Amino acid sequence: MTEPHDASVSHPSSAAAAVSAFSSFEPDDLDGHTIDELSDYLDAGRMPADPSIEGSAGCQIALAALARLRAVSVTLLETEASSEPAPDENWISGILQSIGREARAGRRIPVSHPDPAADLALTEGSVRGLVRAAGDAIPGLVIGRCSLDGDVTLPGEPITVRIEASALWGTSIPDAAAALREAVISALGRHTELVLAGVDVIVHDLLPAPTPVSTAPEGAAGTTAAVPGEPNGDERA
Amino acid sequence: MPVSPATPGPALEEADDRTLAGRASDGDIRAFEVLVRRYGRLMRVYARRILGSNADVDDVVQEAFLQAWQHLPSLEELASVKSWLMRIVANRSVDRIRARREHADIDQHEYEAPASEAPEARAQVHSLDEALSAALSRLPEDQRRCWVLREVAGYSYLDIGGELDLPSSTVRGLIARARKNLIREMEEWR
Repeated sequence: MTEPHDASVSHPSSAAAAVSAFSSFEPDDLDGHTIDELSDYLDAGRMPADPSIEGSAGCQIALAALARLRAVSVTLLETEASSEPAPDENWISGILQSIGREARAGRRIPVSHPDPAADLALTEGSVRGLVRAAGDAIPGLVIGRCSLDGDVTLPGEPITVRIEASALWGTSIPDAAAALREAVISALGRHTELVLAGVDVIVHDLLPAPTPVSTAPEGAAGTTAAVPGEPNGDERA
Repeated sequence: MPVSPATPGPALEEADDRTLAGRASDGDIRAFEVLVRRYGRLMRVYARRILGSNADVDDVVQEAFLQAWQHLPSLEELASVKSWLMRIVANRSVDRIRARREHADIDQHEYEAPASEAPEARAQVHSLDEALSAALSRLPEDQRRCWVLREVAGYSYLDIGGELDLPSSTVRGLIARARKNLIREMEEWR
């Protein structure tokens, strides 16, 4: 398919002529078939083959046009979005303010106190926040979902912290995971009374190295097939 | 505490969808903000196409994000948060159309003016994408809406009929006419 190089509205006359012969896409132009039928036929992968469609020039033109329409439909919104102005900042902060009122507290995690009358607790949400903060301080990692497996509402109950993360390209995953584990154990030890049975780290994605600042040659991502976890020597951190 | 605000880790803006959706589902508003900025425009365009006008786009997309925030903790496939958001905004848009109908005479509804700048649109078309975009803007509202729900949102004829209160045979007819109009205009442009 050739890219139209002229942006003006004048049509290449040959194409216009070819189309005008069938331009209405009515059954008369389609050997008795309808656009509706042809769409269904296309959806079915042109199977089973229908000779009266396959043998009709009008239908072939319509099928090609429908296929083009389908292909463009897929990218339509992305194309439109690329010329859409950035959303208004007030609109964004309106959304963020509304959701801020619905904090995700989660379960209540008791905290002991010398005074038995005192009733202290942390929220599960704040503990997750601690885990994220500890993890975000590890170079090369971004923390994703985090869960506390086990009954955190019972003092002394062993808990497993499960953390999803993605790693920046070139990061040593074993090292980063070990550092993350250590940071989480230390942060939770300092701020909570949770008894940790384990800290599981799942690295699910590698993030492309950021390109700014150091103008190293393009495409650290192009140094193909480096084994995740093996620093690829292209230092950007 | 060793936690400084300037973290040495990669910026959240660069994070993948699964990471952001996971954090947001855990209550991280900053991660949610990145998602709002990443997909806000796409969702607005989508809502505008279904609604047929700018009128309720702000509200509908805002509602969609609020709904997403509430339901994120139950999203299993975090990595597909984008298509999940798109589904939510499509549903909210359709809800809005239905609500409008309850306030307006149904018969009048079909004849609203086409949404956007049809005349200028024709002048500056540089690609097939833009040709489709412009052609879509010139479709009658009912045709465009059904076509978008079918081809972009992936609704079935039956679902569209259910949502818009139309027999599915009518929906089928509208979509066939929309396709005919669209390919006619696109082929002329080529």
